[in-house]
Amino acid sequence: MPETGFPPGNETEVPAGLYIHVPFCSSVCPYCDFAVTIAGEDRRAAWQKALHAEALMYADGGWAFDTVYFGGGTPSILDLERLADVVNGLRSALCINEKARYFLEINPEDASIRRIRAWSDLGFTFASVGLQSPDDGVLHFLGRRHSAEQGRLAIERLKEEHFRTVSADLIFGLPGQGPSDWRRQLEAVIQMGVDHISCYQLTIHDGTIFGRRRRAGVLREAPDDIQADLYELTHAVLADAGFEAYEVSNFARPGHRSKHNQKYWKGVPYLGFGPGAHSFDGTSRRWWNRGKLRLWQRDIEKGRWPLEDAEDLAAADLAFEVLMLGLRQSDGVDLKAVECRWGVAVIDPNRLVIERLVDNGLITVLGTRIQPTMRGMAVADGLAREFEV
Amino acid sequence: MKRIRTFCIIAHIDHGKSTLADRLIQHCGGVEDRDFRDQILDSMDLERERGITIKSNTISLDYEAKDGETYQLNLIDTPGHVDFSHEVRRSLMSCEGALLLVDASQGVEAQTMANMYLAIEHDLEIVPVINKIDLPSADIERVKEEIEEDLGLDSDEVVLCSAKVGTGIQDVLEAIVNQLPPPEGDPDGPLQALIFDAQYDAYRGAVLLVRVMNGEIRAGQRVRFMHTGVEHQVEEVGLLKLERVKSESLSAGAVGYVIAGIKSVSEINIGDTITGVEMPAEEAVPGYRESKPVVFSSVYPMASDEYLELTKALEKLKLNDAALIYEKDSSQALGFGYRCGFLGLLHLEIVQQRLEREYDLSLLLSAPSVRYRVTMTDGEKRWVDNPSIYPDPGSIDTVEEPFIKASVMMPDRYIGTVMELCRDRRGENTSFNYLSVGRVELTSEMPLAEVLFDFYDRLKSTTQGYGSFDYEMLDYRETDAVKVEILVNSEPVDPLAQLVHRDKARPRALHYCDRLKETIPKQQFKIAIQGTIGGNVIARSTINAYRKDVTAKCYGGDISRKRKLLEKQKKGKKRMKMVGNVEIPQAAFIAVLKTDSD
Repeated sequence: MPETGFPPGNETEVPAGLYIHVPFCSSVCPYCDFAVTIAGEDRRAAWQKALHAEALMYADGGWAFDTVYFGGGTPSILDLERLADVVNGLRSALCINEKARYFLEINPEDASIRRIRAWSDLGFTFASVGLQSPDDGVLHFLGRRHSAEQGRLAIERLKEEHFRTVSADLIFGLPGQGPSDWRRQLEAVIQMGVDHISCYQLTIHDGTIFGRRRRAGVLREAPDDIQADLYELTHAVLADAGFEAYEVSNFARPGHRSKHNQKYWKGVPYLGFGPGAHSFDGTSRRWWNRGKLRLWQRDIEKGRWPLEDAEDLAAADLAFEVLMLGLRQSDGVDLKAVECRWGVAVIDPNRLVIERLVDNGLITVLGTRIQPTMRGMAVADGLAREFEV
Repeated sequence: MKRIRTFCIIAHIDHGKSTLADRLIQHCGGVEDRDFRDQILDSMDLERERGITIKSNTISLDYEAKDGETYQLNLIDTPGHVDFSHEVRRSLMSCEGALLLVDASQGVEAQTMANMYLAIEHDLEIVPVINKIDLPSADIERVKEEIEEDLGLDSDEVVLCSAKVGTGIQDVLEAIVNQLPPPEGDPDGPLQALIFDAQYDAYRGAVLLVRVMNGEIRAGQRVRFMHTGVEHQVEEVGLLKLERVKSESLSAGAVGYVIAGIKSVSEINIGDTITGVEMPAEEAVPGYRESKPVVFSSVYPMASDEYLELTKALEKLKLNDAALIYEKDSSQALGFGYRCGFLGLLHLEIVQQRLEREYDLSLLLSAPSVRYRVTMTDGEKRWVDNPSIYPDPGSIDTVEEPFIKASVMMPDRYIGTVMELCRDRRGENTSFNYLSVGRVELTSEMPLAEVLFDFYDRLKSTTQGYGSFDYEMLDYRETDAVKVEILVNSEPVDPLAQLVHRDKARPRALHYCDRLKETIPKQQFKIAIQGTIGGNVIARSTINAYRKDVTAKCYGGDISRKRKLLEKQKKGKKRMKMVGNVEIPQAAFIAVLKTDSD
């Protein structure tokens, strides 16, 4: 790939999603494999400047946005002035719909009333709280800096300040965790009054502290059967509480789905700024930035597109992606629509597969739409492997 | 002719035959040092890897002896395994002598004896050579004793060498010149050339390796193949150096190659005799025996669109492997394939690996079977080597199965456990005799079918690797055979069906069920595995459904990675066979043939 040149434009008429990667954390969690760094104010200022320059590179690409998502890292540690400058800078550089939804990932320890009000004033309405657990023991194991009480308080305050959606991230499948313990945690979080919950199974990545502990033989992921039990329990408990499992790991009360994340899952274009961020033009290309803060920043400072690599996607690749992602969502995927959009055969070559998966209770068929059942969602990767595109 | 010596090297696997061959070649300057690859005669990768010789290769060397004369030494490399005794036999017919290679620490083994008897049968002069004398564990005196007592050879004639470090090589060469006789034959008589091997050359077709017994063969000559009666025009003859070296003619005593525009596989009959159309010989070289396959298995391509490629590969392989036979076969579960006959289990394994490596095919083999002789109630006799055509038990009067005379040589401390193994394998008339102090030879008459299933592995572990095994075909004996079928979610998996003795049916079915349970990956539904006889379930196991198979996160950048991962896994799935709705990996078909212990 050329290091210079112009980044692609939005090739569709659909409003895109904008992702901003804030690579800063106050400490690095032992299970985290994201592009993050612990850096002082000067590095943050340089990041801010580069981010604005990156936005300007796309100014003429026909990009329009109706969701803006600040993820990380820990976006909530940015001081309020800087965050405001970043948001306003983006608004001036790019075409962002006035009614766009703004999403912010928040660590409980950062959620003071003053900051919450400021975030709200800036336009953020979806708060994704890195709660992880309502249990001090688990938080300690995960190396988090906040306490269970801080977590509860953060959610309470966000609700009081009328964030439209308050979401909690949770981690399950910890070594030794059983169903009763997990049920208790889920119920405690529901009790806090959140509208949205993301439940992630603990995944141990090489190159993290947990990865090293696993190699040393002192830590391992829970066995498959336990994971499956906990996953099924999650669905049952949250369904009872009125949450819909709209994606493999995401549960929402009606009207509270993450509109931004759904863009990733429905083949809608998105742009990502900041180190390691990914972008998709909606028709044929995906590209991603250099992952190291310094390299990303240096490229931009020299007027270069900070590209790590790009991928040209064939129609069949895209069709398979939409299918694979569709099988992870309760909405499922309309196969006819996939055929029409990408011009590849999907229904005919997979008739037998579909029949078999229906027989096995893993998907349901509604017209030309297929939708995974709860059991199907739990094996969504396996379902996708069945299909030929 | 006086300065020609044609010989082969006979040895047990791993006793260093190929290494010795390399040294002889190197010593005679048959190859530049810088071109020298270890074990140059074993041209196939597979052979190099396994350290055994499968296909005989032949080379002519010029050796300047101590008497000042230059001799032409024709080395005919022979396979060392019992499965390939047909190839050994043909090679022996072309030789006047043989080097009998014995490992200085391992001593005489069953195969060494078997091959020596073959050599004696063919009137070959034998020079015993003790190899690997450099090993710390070498016990030359003991091995000499074994050579004298077990083999009945004169230990004074023993030549000592270490092919690996290169000592004693000249002594070996001198022994070849001085102890082996030159060929006999009449260069002016009618042509008789024995085809002892054939190679396939993509440009020239079949290249026949011959030993001229009498007369002369030259380019342009019209020749007849005495057993098939086919006539051909000789295009080219020559010597087998490291590469083919064209010459005008080959005359009595010579070993070389013949190219005669032969493309079709069926036209070659190894062991056949070539004679001239003018002045033909009265009879062919005696001793021609067709090698008969005794082990049968069906071979299917993992991907059914590879059937044509499998067909072509088998055709080509057949050019190099006269013992391989095959015919079309089809399976309900696996589609089209071939029923193949092999000389033994090793032969089967080698053919499979060659097909997979040299022709890049991914294969699936059915459970190996022997050939049963079935007498029907109406008196009709049928040969059945494929469970799928096994007649309805109600219409069968008697069934007979092939028996072998198995011979195991080992240190006497293992005699008890090996006898038990033989008993377990339905061995009859098991007996043993001492070969020398501490060494016994055990013989047992047992069904060949019992050897097909993990016998080698068991023997190896029982004797901690000290037991060596050899066998010869004996006769057919009455047996109580039943057909065991394996069902996966009620669908019969026909390549797993097998004919076994009634007493062995249940343990075998259980073994299959357990092995399949271990090797078939969890799928999205429960899988029931059953072993049945005539519809009655005699063994079962269950594989629980996969309940979780999904990555938690899938945002922005993870999508490409996720898609690529799934695509890779999908490719892996293509190496599985669908039986009903169950995917069975190739590994499962292999695992069922192995013992529990490995």
